Amino acid sequence: MIIPIRCFTCGKLIGDKWEEFARRVKMGEDAGDVLDSLGIKRYCCRRMFLSHVEIIDEVLRFYEEAEKRREARIQYYQQ
Amino acid sequence: MLERDEKNLRLLIRGADAPFINALRRNVIAEVPCMAIDDVVIIENSSVFHDEIIAHRLGLIPLKTDLDGYNLPEECSCKSEFGCNLCRVILTLDREAKEGAITVYSGDLTSENPNIVPVSDKIPIVKLAKGQKLRLEAYARLGKGKNHAKWQPVSLCSYKYLPRININGESCDACEKCVEICPRKVLAKREGKIEVRNLLACTLCRDCVDVCPKQPPAIEVDWEKNAFIFSVESTGVLPPERIVMEAVKILNKDLEELAKQIEV
Repeated sequence: MIIPIRCFTCGKLIGDKWEEFARRVKMGEDAGDVLDSLGIKRYCCRRMFLSHVEIIDEVLRFYEEAEKRREARIQYYQQ
Repeated sequence: MLERDEKNLRLLIRGADAPFINALRRNVIAEVPCMAIDDVVIIENSSVFHDEIIAHRLGLIPLKTDLDGYNLPEECSCKSEFGCNLCRVILTLDREAKEGAITVYSGDLTSENPNIVPVSDKIPIVKLAKGQKLRLEAYARLGKGKNHAKWQPVSLCSYKYLPRININGESCDACEKCVEICPRKVLAKREGKIEVRNLLACTLCRDCVDVCPKQPPAIEVDWEKNAFIFSVESTGVLPPERIVMEAVKILNKDLEELAKQIEV
């Protein structure tokens, strides 16, 4: 759903590095090189990044849509 | 000391045996206390996550710890379930997504003690869609790694024997097979001879011994009995050397206790 705060295996803090990782990989950089430059050395922590899918953004879209409808409804009844 | 930076520490320890180093390692992992959020009171949560998930995520956030200023809850004089100023820190969080989606970061937590704050301000806790709210109060306490991994001050604490590599200068013809196969690039060829360039990186895999065409092999990989490379990687809650010092103190205390028990 959202990036875990720590590596499942070793407990290293990884949550704060995800956004930079995702941005740089999207820009076209090689994922391995980005991990190296972020100082993620062990393969347990590296797989946390490589295998992660941030689904929460997809889920939030439904809530945004629901909120829009709610607002529209309120506006409709006010008129 | 071989190398140290803000979070990492690598020590070369001589004159100790494996049981002692292992005791030290286990003390670092399980006995050195550090701060983590333990109880969370959720006042309002309309985010996509359940209260428990948010509480769990909050718990895992490493907090900068002040070991001298705070007591372990079970050793504190207050004896209270909720703790007092000497054994807990209150952190509060209050975010609402008014216009569009936002991310709630660990930096949004406001602590009552400016020294007990998350190690990083950039840890995402949850994302809120427009109109969602998150309000909570969290209680951080000292705890030990043996009770929960969130109280572990280190992400890595390990030791290995100090390697010893002997190259027989007479039978070695510098065919470079061992240089090629070494996964850690420990060996190098210089002036027609194989040399050990980076001894500490050696993992004692002995690939170089297996690949040597000479019989018996011209290279020998061995380790020193009483020398260790001890590495600690802190999560940022405490400086690594402080963690090791605390572990030594705790080990001393335990041993004194044991000596006392035996006497009686």
